[in-house]
Amino acid sequence: MKRPLVSLAIVFSLGILVASRIKIPFMGLYFLAALFLALILFPAKTGCRFSLSLLGLCFCLGALFLKNAQGLLPQNHISRMIYYKNSQLYLIRGMVSSEPEVKNNKTSFFFKTQSVQSANLNRSCRGDILVYLKGGSKLHYGEELILRGNLRRPFARAGPRQMSYRDYLYRRNVYFIMRVENSADMFRLNRNKGFILKRLALWLKHKMEEALFRYASPLTAAISAAMILGEKTNIPWFVNDAMMKSGTLHILVVSGFNVGIISFIIVLFLKLFRLPRQLRFWLTVFLLVVYCLITGASTPCVRATVMSVVFLFSFLLKREPDIYSSLSAAALFILVINPMQLFDIGFQLSFVSVLAIVYLYPKLKARCPAAITKVKPWQGIINGGLVSLSAWLGTAGFIACYFKIFSPVTVLANLFIVPIATLITLCGLSLIVAGLVLPGLAYLFAPVCELLVSALVAVNTLLIKLPGAYLRLP
Amino acid sequence: MFTLTNQERQVVAFLAAMALVGLGADFLIKKYIPAKSLAPFTQDLGKIDLNRADKQLLMAVPGIGEKLAGRIIAYRQKQSGFQALEELKSIQGITEYRYEKIKGAFFLRQ
Repeated sequence: MKRPLVSLAIVFSLGILVASRIKIPFMGLYFLAALFLALILFPAKTGCRFSLSLLGLCFCLGALFLKNAQGLLPQNHISRMIYYKNSQLYLIRGMVSSEPEVKNNKTSFFFKTQSVQSANLNRSCRGDILVYLKGGSKLHYGEELILRGNLRRPFARAGPRQMSYRDYLYRRNVYFIMRVENSADMFRLNRNKGFILKRLALWLKHKMEEALFRYASPLTAAISAAMILGEKTNIPWFVNDAMMKSGTLHILVVSGFNVGIISFIIVLFLKLFRLPRQLRFWLTVFLLVVYCLITGASTPCVRATVMSVVFLFSFLLKREPDIYSSLSAAALFILVINPMQLFDIGFQLSFVSVLAIVYLYPKLKARCPAAITKVKPWQGIINGGLVSLSAWLGTAGFIACYFKIFSPVTVLANLFIVPIATLITLCGLSLIVAGLVLPGLAYLFAPVCELLVSALVAVNTLLIKLPGAYLRLP
Repeated sequence: MFTLTNQERQVVAFLAAMALVGLGADFLIKKYIPAKSLAPFTQDLGKIDLNRADKQLLMAVPGIGEKLAGRIIAYRQKQSGFQALEELKSIQGITEYRYEKIKGAFFLRQ
């Protein structure tokens, strides 16, 4: 097999899928995996037994990872200590494990629990909960708190075909939501806990966001912050809705597109300093990881970061970069950390779109008449259109299934919106850097950003008004 | 069939073995380590039981550092617990001013 990582990623995913559908005991799977491992370790004359054993082991590992993440809750997991039906007040000590979001006078964040107390019994615990705190509160990632409030399970789906918030949170290993009614029910302990690199990245993100909002109008700053920093909370609903209808919502989340631009800028910038090749490589990897943390390490961003790092490694090791192998490495990386991501819409759309582009684009291009594809002015437009068409063909079914919308206008919309989004990303980044380092220059970039964002909104509005641009499905 | 060199096979086998051992260890931890009982927080949120708080919890009170927390615990062990909050003043480093600043953070379980 030319690409072993691809087979391993597929078999690992299959293991997760099968374990989610069929009840298999953890120990049974474990012994089967140990048997496959023994076969791998036992030297064989032919490679056939090694390959089959490795595939079998990978399948078992996929199933085991899912069982371990989903089926086996520890004895001291918070969900085992909560009697949610009598809705009593609980005191929970723990750490803010995500960046708090303030919206509609409500602060929400994920909270990594350490101990829980009801009545006079305080016990150690583990597991995450989602916290809703009334009022805007200046909390940060890594703060240690004691919270008092009610706990409840997330709501399940209203109908069999509707998406369930409970499933969404379960996939993130969150089983309870806590409501804290008053800021007096929150006691702040220690501010400097958590992963130091993530704290640094989020501090940097706040500074960058401040710079954007200082020099640009709220709409421009909100759209630029979503594209560059992955901060979507300030995007007005009408922009979100219009982008959803045109099928271009992907540009408002940090994905491979944004990571690609950032990688390009980092590499270009480091080349200017004429640093040694190896140092340049490690600096790029470090900065990409920091950027991934700044944007909240969403699935598409982690996928793109891992792919970029694999690509950089291939250049460093003088190996031929292979997009299928790097995509598989990214999938394995994400699934090993959280196997339930396989059922997440973001994960599926992110991988399917890249796979569709990589697989379909060369095939579609080969079918185009050479007379058109080789003419210089048309080349860029044809290529852009074909990439957009490939991604649309790959993701249209998923979007129709999950979001109940079918948007034929997406292919055309991407042709206009992707170049504008690229310019907004570049201009927004320049605005941020100028805002932080040379505030005088920021006033030059701000009007350009405003103009580009206005163009983006106007083009999008125009496109969704075309007849048959999108269809709502029942 | 996978065309891997012997070294690559060894690396793959090592990684798979590590994953399997890690999963097994995590399974045992999840299954057999129970929840521990800890010193309860008071019903007045944020107040700490002076006779039960660990060093880290004491250090969470503004004005108490690592050294002072260590002295409080040493005093507590020597005297078999505090009878009154005023006893804090007899610990080296807790002046009248500091006592007034920190006393609101503690309570003594009856």
